[in-house]
Amino acid sequence: MKAARAVPLIAVLAAALCVFPAGESMDDFGRLIPKTIGAWEAREADRVYDRTTLYDYMDGGAEVFLAFDFREVWTRRYAGPDGGTEGRELTLDIYDMGSPAEAFGIFSCDREDPEAGIGQESEADFGLLRFWQGRCFVTVTAAEDDETSQRAVLDVGRAVVGLLGPPGPKPDLIGYLPAGSLRADRTSFFHSNVNLNNRYFVASENILGLDRSTDCVFAEYDAAAGEAGCLLVVRYPDAAKAEAARRSFLAAYLPEAGADGLARTENKKWVLALRKEAVLVVVFEAPDPDWARTLASSVPSLKSPSR
Amino acid sequence: MTPIITRRDFLTGTTAVVLGAHLARAQEPAAAKTARVVLIRHAGVLDENSAINPDILQGMLDEAVMKLLDESDPVAAFGRLVKPGETVGIKTNVWSYLPTPKELEAAIKRRLVDAGIAEDRIGLDDHTVRTNPLFINATSLINVRPLRTHYLSGMSGTLKNYIMFAESQPDYHPDSCADLGALFKLPIVQGKTRLNILCALTPQFHGRGPHHFSRRYVWAYKGLIVGRDPVAVDTIGLRLIMAKRREVLGKAQELPPVPKHIQLADTRHGIGTSDINAIEFIKLGWGEDILI
Repeated sequence: MKAARAVPLIAVLAAALCVFPAGESMDDFGRLIPKTIGAWEAREADRVYDRTTLYDYMDGGAEVFLAFDFREVWTRRYAGPDGGTEGRELTLDIYDMGSPAEAFGIFSCDREDPEAGIGQESEADFGLLRFWQGRCFVTVTAAEDDETSQRAVLDVGRAVVGLLGPPGPKPDLIGYLPAGSLRADRTSFFHSNVNLNNRYFVASENILGLDRSTDCVFAEYDAAAGEAGCLLVVRYPDAAKAEAARRSFLAAYLPEAGADGLARTENKKWVLALRKEAVLVVVFEAPDPDWARTLASSVPSLKSPSR
Repeated sequence: MTPIITRRDFLTGTTAVVLGAHLARAQEPAAAKTARVVLIRHAGVLDENSAINPDILQGMLDEAVMKLLDESDPVAAFGRLVKPGETVGIKTNVWSYLPTPKELEAAIKRRLVDAGIAEDRIGLDDHTVRTNPLFINATSLINVRPLRTHYLSGMSGTLKNYIMFAESQPDYHPDSCADLGALFKLPIVQGKTRLNILCALTPQFHGRGPHHFSRRYVWAYKGLIVGRDPVAVDTIGLRLIMAKRREVLGKAQELPPVPKHIQLADTRHGIGTSDINAIEFIKLGWGEDILI
């Protein structure tokens, strides 16, 4: 498998300069975004939450955002055609994630629904639209998930996307993934253990030593008979930390593995962990040892983070 | 340190063992029961639009509390929990996507009044319990909230419901909210909780989106889980969530992020039991698709 490195330089430069149109701040969304969209109307004051106040806004998700470079979220509620009395209400959240890579990251960790064609990548179903554009991650959530609400969710998304600035690049680490049978829309980028465990539960403790200093990509590949093999690539600040994580992982998860870091697990699939400079590569759910070795060997060595 | 649970524990079916459920010893006859938990369900408590029948709900609460305390009258049962002249705080949950139903709050309040608590000395609050005089002066607390998964702690149950009593909520977030059990040792709370109610009328078994909510992952289970020990109540609640996830999402997603705080509330903070063998689990009412 060959590495699919495709992060154009121009996109990187665009990301460095990425601002909202005409240099507005999040507060400016209040005047730029229509207060009436179709039969839906904003009746309450808009709100902005930052890293310290995010807990006031969400219960159950704040830590997930704080594990990224989240800056602020601008939020507005729209009451439905019934004035919201029958529970029809939409919530628009625009998250400034600090960079396009981080916006892609938060989007990529929770994908289940069909593409909606809004922004750089999107998904929508059951009254929830999620997309990313530039350094922004956007959600539109309906209290109800009927057809009227679902249509309005998409209308609100389309009304907003043009205000979010130019597209930005995905994280560079994505570009190092072996192409092969990669399921591109199942690739996630993140930093912390909370994100890994919500994407693919590995262990109740942080046995890989993940934190905001680590860049992680979790990807799925077609294996056999519709099944997926999984690849976790973690880039540590230095090789010593990567080696410590490899040892910790093998001790807690794969104690029977030999020097090659390979072992068969209870579901008759294979797991392989190996270090390449500052990168730890772990293959899960491999159908056989060769499949695991081939996938892992296709990941190039990386000495240190690019940030 | 808690034992590390890995994905491989799911593959071998030993997750419950490491979680403290000790299923391997479940057949042993002589385990001492230190906590009683009652699950009650009624097929008619929700209509096809999930509207609550308040009379049926009141009956469910009454029956569960009577069974919990071996009483034959609901007022007598509540009279075992609180005494006339007390100030009682009902710690509810107002999370907009899945709040404690008003009908359940009303049912609790009604029985407290019946048991002799003056109406103006019953507090009902969530976010402002720390400054609410009725909670500051409360001598008894009733802990009630819906059962749902949580992105960080794994599960939101009766233990997590007390996080609003903390001066700083983020202080309880490290290590997947491992130390939520410590909330029950805060002076405003310690020794005051008389009843814990997990509302499982429409539990949420998985989350999506920024607020970790999607109606597709809520189902009409039509139950209440009631007990005096919050750890035991949450232990049963977790088993229900795990069973539903296993059924819908598959064995590999049986657990949300591991809710280690439940076991640690037992082993580290000593406020109750998470050992299924020490829990007398009583099931009442409707049995269809009961899952646990």
